[in-house]
Amino acid sequence: MKPIISVKNFTKAYGDFTAVNDISFEVEEGSIFAFLGPNGAGKSTTINTLCTIFEKTSGTLIIDGKDASTQKSEVRSSIGVVFQDSTLDAKMTIEENLKMHCVFYHVPKKEVEERIQFVLGLVDLLGERKKLVSALSGGMKRRVEIARGLIHYPKVLFLDEPTTGLDPQTRAHIWEYILKLQKERNITIFLTTHYMEEAEICNKIAIIDRGVIVAHDTPYALKKEYTKDKAYITTRNGPELERLMSQYEVSYVRKEGYYKADAEQIDRLLQVISLQKEDITDIEIKKGTFNDVFLEITGKKIREEE
Amino acid sequence: MNTVIALWMRGLKAFVRNKTGLIFSLIFPFFFVYVFGAIFKNDYIDNPISYMLSGVIITTVFESSLNLASSTVDDMVSGFMKEVLVSPAKRLAVAVGQLLSAATVSTLQGILILFIGLFIGIKFTTWITPVLILFAMICVGMVFSGVGLFLATKVRSGQTFQIIKTAVTMPLTFLSGAYIPLAMLPNLLKYIAYVNPMTYATAFFRMIVLEKTSLTNAELVKEGLAIDINGFIVTPVLSLIIILLIGLVFIILSTNSFVKTDFSRLNRSSNDASALWG
Repeated sequence: MKPIISVKNFTKAYGDFTAVNDISFEVEEGSIFAFLGPNGAGKSTTINTLCTIFEKTSGTLIIDGKDASTQKSEVRSSIGVVFQDSTLDAKMTIEENLKMHCVFYHVPKKEVEERIQFVLGLVDLLGERKKLVSALSGGMKRRVEIARGLIHYPKVLFLDEPTTGLDPQTRAHIWEYILKLQKERNITIFLTTHYMEEAEICNKIAIIDRGVIVAHDTPYALKKEYTKDKAYITTRNGPELERLMSQYEVSYVRKEGYYKADAEQIDRLLQVISLQKEDITDIEIKKGTFNDVFLEITGKKIREEE
Repeated sequence: MNTVIALWMRGLKAFVRNKTGLIFSLIFPFFFVYVFGAIFKNDYIDNPISYMLSGVIITTVFESSLNLASSTVDDMVSGFMKEVLVSPAKRLAVAVGQLLSAATVSTLQGILILFIGLFIGIKFTTWITPVLILFAMICVGMVFSGVGLFLATKVRSGQTFQIIKTAVTMPLTFLSGAYIPLAMLPNLLKYIAYVNPMTYATAFFRMIVLEKTSLTNAELVKEGLAIDINGFIVTPVLSLIIILLIGLVFIILSTNSFVKTDFSRLNRSSNDASALWG
């Protein structure tokens, strides 16, 4: 597959401060790509430069074969952007916002109505099209923005923290729309997030910290590489369990009331368990999470909330 | 071109929908007409209501065009301008759209006051007068839309801008002869009034409304319709030329400045703005 976004040696500096330092990555057409990192890591700077709003300091950023710094107008036509904060006109209705967007993006007049139907259908807002944006809830506004970002049929949709500040139910819905979209229109989706569980849905992830990409792979591969499955065992006979685990070379940590054992070599752990099954009262196997990946790579936990 | 029309329509819709704003924009002018009309009843002015109304109409057009064009700042703060600027729409078209919508809405406000004025004392003897009035209002609307947009591209924070705007409009309004005849001002303020573009806009507009186009220079000065700067008489026609020149300069400056402004540097009022703008 050919890459639709290709970034080479991109650097962005503000005076002495280097926000993004010499990063390179590619995004395949039709995939969902996530930029993951804490606030201030350089996610938004990168997305804003790709969207032609910021000027780069050096490097090349190519979207759909066009240069984001020299062919701004062409790039703008082929991308849709949903920013972190609302950019809707609150004094206008949903329909008016969409129509105005169609004008800005030169959508042929006779197609406008059909497209409004399509995008509003996608985000379940067909019934509210005459409502003023100021009367909508936060989640609805975000859905309108996603609909608007799509109405000119962009090749790449940028979503800067699309679900930040939304309740879990709305977040789940937004993700439903994003996935539906990727399937139905084969759009490439480039998003930034600091929610770990969201990153796992994506095809590829780049973890960015202090302006540098510290890991870049599929969620599965990243987890495989950076996390270990753990078993949480509660037993009535601690010393015996410890003895068995040492004997079968299962590494473990003793915690308050339970043992945390390495579950990567599951055959050895199973032998320990079968030998001690009378005394063990509870076992829980936990798969590695993206938090662990992040912790492992950057040495710090990602902040879950702002 | 479509972008210009879309933004122009947007301004008109916002104006029509804002009913409270509309009512208040009509209350204040008539309050001023009443108060100042009562205070400055004097022998120089034979038709105080028309005299005051003409001043009030033109200051309304002035203030509202300045306010509306500079409300581009609000569009930046609310984020809407970001949506516009990340689109392939031409920036020049965006600037022109903002200018036209501000000029149109402010002219409409002027027309509304004029319309009510017809019932309380303004009288025209020829049909040319309303046409000239419309022309003058559109001119003044465009000129100060240019000034407003120019200011908008120069600010970095929404809050400071409110203060700057009041600091600019208040003296320009009160030292223009619209409410207080220039002859009554102390010398220092008079000199400030001479460099105030609104002084010339008011003089020109008032001459049209009062239908004094046929007076001699001396008579015009006596009625406060021409400005006498130490013997140099600025006739209403010269006033118009001054205004149009200032307008041209600001329209060019503002569109140019708008096209070049790096809006990503604007300090948005919300706290996570710094995160948003990297």
